[in-house]
Amino acid sequence: MSAGAASKKIKGRAARRYGAVNWRGLWVLYSRKAVLRFLRYGLESIAGPVASSCIFVLVFVLALQGGTAMSPDLSLAQFVVPGIVMFTLTQVAFDSAAVMIIHDKQDGVIQDVLMAPLTPLEITLGYSLGAATNGLMTGGLLILIFAVFVDLPLQSGIVAAGFAFGGTLLFSMVGMIVGIWAQRWDHFSAAETFLVMPLGLLSGTFFSLERVPEGYGWLLLGNPMFHAINGFRAALTGHSDAPLWLGAGVIAGLTLLLALITWRLFAIGYRIKS
Amino acid sequence: MGVINGRGLWTLYVKEVRRFMNVFSQTLLAPMVTTLLFLAVFALALGGGGRQVGGVDYILFLGPGLIMMSMVQNAFANTSSSILIAKVQGNIVDLLMPPLSPAELVMGVAGGGVTRGLMVGLVVALGMSIFVPLSIHNPGFIIWHAVNASLMLALLGLIGGIWAEKFDHIAAVTNFIITPFSFLSGTFYSIERLPENWRFIADFNPFFYMIDGFRYGFIGHADSSLTVGFYLVLVVNIVLGFTAHRMIATGYRLKA
Repeated sequence: MSAGAASKKIKGRAARRYGAVNWRGLWVLYSRKAVLRFLRYGLESIAGPVASSCIFVLVFVLALQGGTAMSPDLSLAQFVVPGIVMFTLTQVAFDSAAVMIIHDKQDGVIQDVLMAPLTPLEITLGYSLGAATNGLMTGGLLILIFAVFVDLPLQSGIVAAGFAFGGTLLFSMVGMIVGIWAQRWDHFSAAETFLVMPLGLLSGTFFSLERVPEGYGWLLLGNPMFHAINGFRAALTGHSDAPLWLGAGVIAGLTLLLALITWRLFAIGYRIKS
Repeated sequence: MGVINGRGLWTLYVKEVRRFMNVFSQTLLAPMVTTLLFLAVFALALGGGGRQVGGVDYILFLGPGLIMMSMVQNAFANTSSSILIAKVQGNIVDLLMPPLSPAELVMGVAGGGVTRGLMVGLVVALGMSIFVPLSIHNPGFIIWHAVNASLMLALLGLIGGIWAEKFDHIAAVTNFIITPFSFLSGTFYSIERLPENWRFIADFNPFFYMIDGFRYGFIGHADSSLTVGFYLVLVVNIVLGFTAHRMIATGYRLKA
């Protein structure tokens, strides 16, 4: 074998070079670790939330029909459907992000992610975008199903997509922080019961701002879920309880803040590296 | 041992109860929080319009239904998770090896589920009574339906846990059977609201009779025949108990 061929061979196996971002690594983390894993459990991970959302809508419409409408311009179903889609979207994103990280921590495979040439920022992005994608897929499926039964006069596809993306990304970040913090499954369920469910249920999914008793409106306005739902509903039906710019600002600001925290947690290895 | 291995049965029962009491914040407090959230949501969504259902304020109609829903979901979760976790971890042999007959196993495990259901019901009712003026019309119906409903779902959980081989399976049963049955049961609406040709959803749903009878104990109004409900839950429980007993006796998916 000539020297040239040997050096060529070595050259072929030379270390991969990256630019500022390890795109291939990020893609692998995103697709293989986050999205494909979710899809593998398709029945449980997508069909479950989809089924319960449909039941929610059915129950709500049956329970409340004939009562006073939520708003003069929308039917009950038109009001509730965007809320429930958004509610499901964010729950799936939260679950998906938290469960992924807790699993990886418990199985010890989080080491594989930490050892790979990925910066803390890339790890944060890979996991969170993956979880957000899982939420968006579930939400997309739900919208397709509900669109058959409920008239949704889409006002702006871009605004709808923007709020959907913002909401899922925000709750992916919440899920990641919970996942990093949690040491047992109990911790995860506690966060779900005492943080995510209250945020989701007391959010204007099922009732409009006017229904909230005097003096408690700030509870709703301070809840990012309310803004995500309100923006999404405005885009789908044209009915809005609060200014959209405020909603967009709250969601973007909180998401950035939580992303920063997640990034720092990965960087210092909080409860991940001993 | 006599006809019944009393000490063994008691030990199994206590083990089942301790299992959920160890994590009571998850198994007792969490259902209470979730139920109160549901209550708040529906109360707000209705806008306090003084709406009447079944002759009482909507919130009084809703309250007992929500208590019942949390009881049945927790009774199911308790037995199904107990059996499935034992199967997955392999310590199911510790249940099958001791001198406990299939009937004793069913009683011990289901008893744990019933206890969890009733305790959750009590905790939820206490939490709810802060906000809703629950009154009692007929305690007999409340107790009869609370016990039978918890037992029914505990037995279903036992059967589901034996049948399931993975956690996906039990999640599927919860998502596609238990949740739909409990939500479409008349907890949130009176069946008069159902379109005529959809009434069968309620008529063939045992959950409907449980919730209706249970609610009758509180508000003194029932949508269905109380006699039918009274005997239906009993018959369903006997059938389920017998099924669970046969499954354990034959070792279906338990013994290789």
